[in-house]
Amino acid sequence: MKRTNKIYTALIFVFLYLPIAVLILFSFNSSNSTNSLAGFSLKWYKELFSDGATLLALRNTLVLAILSSVIATIIGTLAAYGIFRMKNKHVKNALLTVNNIPMMNPEIVVGISMMLLFVFVGRLVNAQSTLGFGTVLIAHITFNIPYVVLSVLPKFKQMDRHLPEAALDLGCTPFQSFYKVEMPQIISGIISGFIMAFTLSIDDFIISYFTIGSGFETLPIRIYSMTKKRVTPDMYALSALIFLSILILLLISNFTGNSNNAKEKKPVTLKQKKTRRIVIASTFAVIAIITGAVFISTATTETVVVNVYNWGEYISDGSDGSYDTNKAFEEYYSNVLSEERGHKVKVQVNYTTFTSNEDLYAKIKSGVGGYDVIIPSDYMVERLKNEGLIQPLDLNNIPNYKYIKDEFKKPFYDNGKDTYSAMYTYGIVGIIYNTKYVDEADIGGWDLLWNEKYSGHILQFNNARDAFGSAMYKLGISVNTATEDEWRQALSELKTQKPHVQSYVMDEIYNKLESEEAWIGAYYAGDALSMIYNNENLAFYYPKNEDGEFATNIFADAMCIPTGIDAENKEHAEAYINFMLSEEPAIANAEYIYYGCPNTLVTNNQEYRDYLGEDFDVIYDPDIEENIDDLFSNYAYRNLPADKLALLNKLWEELKVDSSSFGGGIYIVSGVIALAIVGFIVFSYVVKVRRRRLYWNTTPKTK
Amino acid sequence: MNEKKIIELKGVSKTFDDEVILDNIDLKVYEKEFMTLLGPSGCGKTTTLRIIAGFVTPDSGEVLFDDVKINDVPPHKRSVNTVFQKYALFPHLNVYENIAFALRLKKVSEEEIYERVEEMLTMVNLRGFEKRDVNLLSGGQQQRVAIARALINKPRVLLLDEPLGALDLKLRKDMQNELKNIQRKTGITFIYVTHDQEEALSMSDTVVVMANGKIQQIGSPTDIYNEPENAFVADFIGESNIIDGVMLDDFKVRFSGHEFVCLDKGFGKNEAVDVVVRPEDVDVVPLEKGMLRGVVDSVTFKGVHYEIIVTINKFKWMIQSTDYVAPMQKIGIYVEPDAIHIMKKSEFSGMFGDYSSFSDELDHLSDVTEEEE
Amino acid sequence: MNKKTLIQKAAAAPHIVWSVLFIIAPLIFVMYYAFTDNEGSFTVSNFTELFQASYLEIFLRSVCFAFLATVICLVLAYPIAYFISRANAKTQKILIMLVMLPMWMNFLIRTYSWMALLEDTGIINTFLGFFGIGPVHMINTAGAVILGMVYNYLPYMIIPIHSVLSKVDVRLLEAAADLGSNPFTVITKVVFPLSIPGIISGITMVFVPSISTFYISQKLGGGNFDLIGDTIERQFQTAYNYNLGASMSFVLMLLIIISMTIMNKYADDDGGVII
Repeated sequence: MKRTNKIYTALIFVFLYLPIAVLILFSFNSSNSTNSLAGFSLKWYKELFSDGATLLALRNTLVLAILSSVIATIIGTLAAYGIFRMKNKHVKNALLTVNNIPMMNPEIVVGISMMLLFVFVGRLVNAQSTLGFGTVLIAHITFNIPYVVLSVLPKFKQMDRHLPEAALDLGCTPFQSFYKVEMPQIISGIISGFIMAFTLSIDDFIISYFTIGSGFETLPIRIYSMTKKRVTPDMYALSALIFLSILILLLISNFTGNSNNAKEKKPVTLKQKKTRRIVIASTFAVIAIITGAVFISTATTETVVVNVYNWGEYISDGSDGSYDTNKAFEEYYSNVLSEERGHKVKVQVNYTTFTSNEDLYAKIKSGVGGYDVIIPSDYMVERLKNEGLIQPLDLNNIPNYKYIKDEFKKPFYDNGKDTYSAMYTYGIVGIIYNTKYVDEADIGGWDLLWNEKYSGHILQFNNARDAFGSAMYKLGISVNTATEDEWRQALSELKTQKPHVQSYVMDEIYNKLESEEAWIGAYYAGDALSMIYNNENLAFYYPKNEDGEFATNIFADAMCIPTGIDAENKEHAEAYINFMLSEEPAIANAEYIYYGCPNTLVTNNQEYRDYLGEDFDVIYDPDIEENIDDLFSNYAYRNLPADKLALLNKLWEELKVDSSSFGGGIYIVSGVIALAIVGFIVFSYVVKVRRRRLYWNTTPKTK
Repeated sequence: MNEKKIIELKGVSKTFDDEVILDNIDLKVYEKEFMTLLGPSGCGKTTTLRIIAGFVTPDSGEVLFDDVKINDVPPHKRSVNTVFQKYALFPHLNVYENIAFALRLKKVSEEEIYERVEEMLTMVNLRGFEKRDVNLLSGGQQQRVAIARALINKPRVLLLDEPLGALDLKLRKDMQNELKNIQRKTGITFIYVTHDQEEALSMSDTVVVMANGKIQQIGSPTDIYNEPENAFVADFIGESNIIDGVMLDDFKVRFSGHEFVCLDKGFGKNEAVDVVVRPEDVDVVPLEKGMLRGVVDSVTFKGVHYEIIVTINKFKWMIQSTDYVAPMQKIGIYVEPDAIHIMKKSEFSGMFGDYSSFSDELDHLSDVTEEEE
Repeated sequence: MNKKTLIQKAAAAPHIVWSVLFIIAPLIFVMYYAFTDNEGSFTVSNFTELFQASYLEIFLRSVCFAFLATVICLVLAYPIAYFISRANAKTQKILIMLVMLPMWMNFLIRTYSWMALLEDTGIINTFLGFFGIGPVHMINTAGAVILGMVYNYLPYMIIPIHSVLSKVDVRLLEAAADLGSNPFTVITKVVFPLSIPGIISGITMVFVPSISTFYISQKLGGGNFDLIGDTIERQFQTAYNYNLGASMSFVLMLLIIISMTIMNKYADDDGGVII
């Protein structure tokens, strides 16, 4: 018996620690794969300390956690005191109930409810950006307070009512009695409340996700956006380090003194007391220093912030020793501004990423973002322009605009009087497949994505326009002028595909195809080349229709400036766009992204051409380049009329929630278990009542 | 009374964390007997009880039930039931269900359960309390529920672990009587653990005095009181003056520089012995009539008598007398031969009996904080 | 003295103000958005839309998945909580620390780690491959989603049950054994009923996050098992349909309040069940 208990306990611990072990193991992996080991290396640890964005996110997380937990501890402790002394029972209960709401409510509801409040208020006061550090701080304080109240309140209740009286009796002033007698009774509650709040805040993802805006990224948010594409093992290294430090911290706290064990009333020696005081004091000192430093650093130098919202993996970011575009801009522009203004100006680029045009649209439309530069795709530029959500660029501030190839200067989505965008990249959607598993006979068209032979290994776009596009190209329906019936036809095509789809992905496609977890997927040509570079079994083609005609999407992504930002910010945004169009960053980005670049500074650069080698002719396929105007007018997505947009959203929703083919067994199992539980409850209730029948009506004899 | 042996411990020893709790215990319990295990905290009495109940397995020795070895029989298979210290009533069950607990396990029919629970409730005077929440009962009521719960199974032996420890004095006296009545009525063997010597003497048929993991003496309450076997028993049971003495011959003992006639014999010539004289057996007499003489240190009024501490030959005697004497007064004392009890020297010699550091309160306090092993 | 009572009264004030602004008001906004269209005029169409078969299925699926995850967590957690509670104080402290430790790691990255384990070309299948077994298809199944829930929320079940069990008086267990309970009935008749408060809070702490999760189902279910959380998240992050999202959140809240009320009522019913 004893032995089986131990084995069982061990198994549960294996279960709990298995993913953590995997994570630690792969943090030492010499390749960047997160599911196959290549060799031992410490490079990810090294990488971690040069990954500015991650370290910044870590710092942000700590600052947010410290600030929110300190404020929550103060408000919560006061509240606990107030509630404890409150005489009116109804008010007291009402307060406690309200206090419990953030704990009982699902996090997602807490998150969206606060987001709705912020968005509403933001619109009311016409704020430039509604979400940001302030809102996420408020959100964190809100969900931290209840935990502080709940850990301090019992301490007040446990405290002997006569203690303060005894203190007063022995000559304390009321303040002394609070400080010397009451405080030590509740301090353990305050500390545990604080620690609880701190850890919750550090680990929070869901509530932050809905209340965080541009310009502030916490670690969980960064991890989330990473897991949307490719998690680099330096994140594993960071997690391993965090794990290790917590383990050590816990071990230390466990083996030095049983101070937090109230049951053991071992006398505390003076020395222990002293060390405890030192520990507490130094913790608070560290907290004070960090918060102070943050305030000072933000207060002393004038800081110019540029908020950039871009696709994932869409900028040369300094990884693997590459060019760090944003850092370069910060340095460059800080020099420019400092000279202009005659004093030191710090420039900070807050760079966040999105995974689909629709994500971007939701952020811009709700006004939560406060972004200065955004990089939507063609049809979305058109939509944003039509809805007045982006503003014309002042080309005087973007002298480098002239380097954009002429044919890209007035694209279809931007052919009005003013120029609303500066093209960043362009490309074509192709189908990537694994030659090891996919029969060459099956390739050529879009139907490969519907081929039942590869069921369970097919990936589909996780955004409405591209997913519907794939079906419409397959069916030969126009992606821009389809009727409602045709849209519905595409939907049913996608529904028939759904059972064969492994998952709906965006940037996750990299990992899935490279690791051969999936075999077939449609994605953008430049990405296909990077994937082939990582796994040479992969190949790709531009799909053609049955008549052998080119039948796929050509797209362009362009830099825009949202409306609603003030003139000064607009200037900074334009400076950023201009910088992106200058030679060095443009080349670095083109090399990193591997898409077609409209910038002549890039395409004419010999080093760049050498860098691409053979791939140059793939990316800039002469056949395509020749007809690029034609292709854009025929094969690009256009913004849809409002009714079609609504329809598309609705149909996409219908596809996502459609599940005719899944999970029947689960319902049966849970139904059976639920019935068993209900049956058991009813049975035990019946038994109970039956047993009571004999004695329930007796009344006590009074003596 | 004692016809048939029901439980026997043979050479039972138990060690916890290198500390010897029980050292070679031999004990026989007879049917219908009310036996009390008496001793100070840490003497091993509760461990003995728990060995009989089956919660503790002895390191060595045998536990026999009806002459069958039951060392390895788990508690639920022994026809022994326990009334726990602080009762251990199930907080999730009401009075009725607590008492019915054992019968439910045996799948007894509802009607029979009802009958037997009611019978028990009547016995412990708690009819009408069936659906009460046990957490809301008074200490005395909880006690009765605990007894009823343990007795409903009609055990052959009922073990009671300091059952009255948590009750106030008045309630305690009532419950003592009630327990004794229940034992007589049911004829069940009771093994009762207490550190209260008065309780032990007034309720028991047999008292087992324990100390340091050993049995010091087994006997009827009068035997234990009148014929303590060593200084420990003499001191623990009632008040005693224990004086070093020398047995000069049969019926002749010398202590405090005086030769006394006594009723004991069978000791070696000039053997060093412990002499016990109970305070109430000492008569205060005028100085000249005294066998011994001393100066009164202090006098305390105790209601029925005065408690007088007298120094005689550097030894402080305690005397209980109805006559008042004044402090600092010189008095004589007189001891009848039958008031003198001679004991062999033991490990406890010299540890007890002198009232120089006597304090009623301290003694009392140290006993109350009895804990379980 | 007067000053003191004033302080006492004022102490709770910041909390009251904060609660009204950031707890009550946001919930009012959820209601507001749930009952209006994107023009801001009153409508119940957001709710009628939810009565489509596909949304009902999502609700049903979320409830089922969360329910199964909760049941599995309970079944797995109870024995280990019990074993831990019977160990000596020092071991207990260490084991509970070990149970809590994974919670300090970011749950996104732990869930992501499960992906690496469960994939067809993942670690488990590679391992099985050495023995010539498999590959066993695990990822993107309902089982994987439920596994993710169980994994993430198991500690939330172990800890409250353990904390109740560790306070159960050993004498009660002895009393039960003494009255004829074998080790099994000691657990069913005494330990289990006494631990019901812990079980209830464990169930709450597992069920609520499970039913509203969206990350786990996305990563381990491959987007094939949309749960309420996913659908709500989509309305806010991509579909830009706050009104529908708010109405879904509203229903989710109601669902949870109802199930919690039922459960608490059942648990409060004087001392739980007789087994």
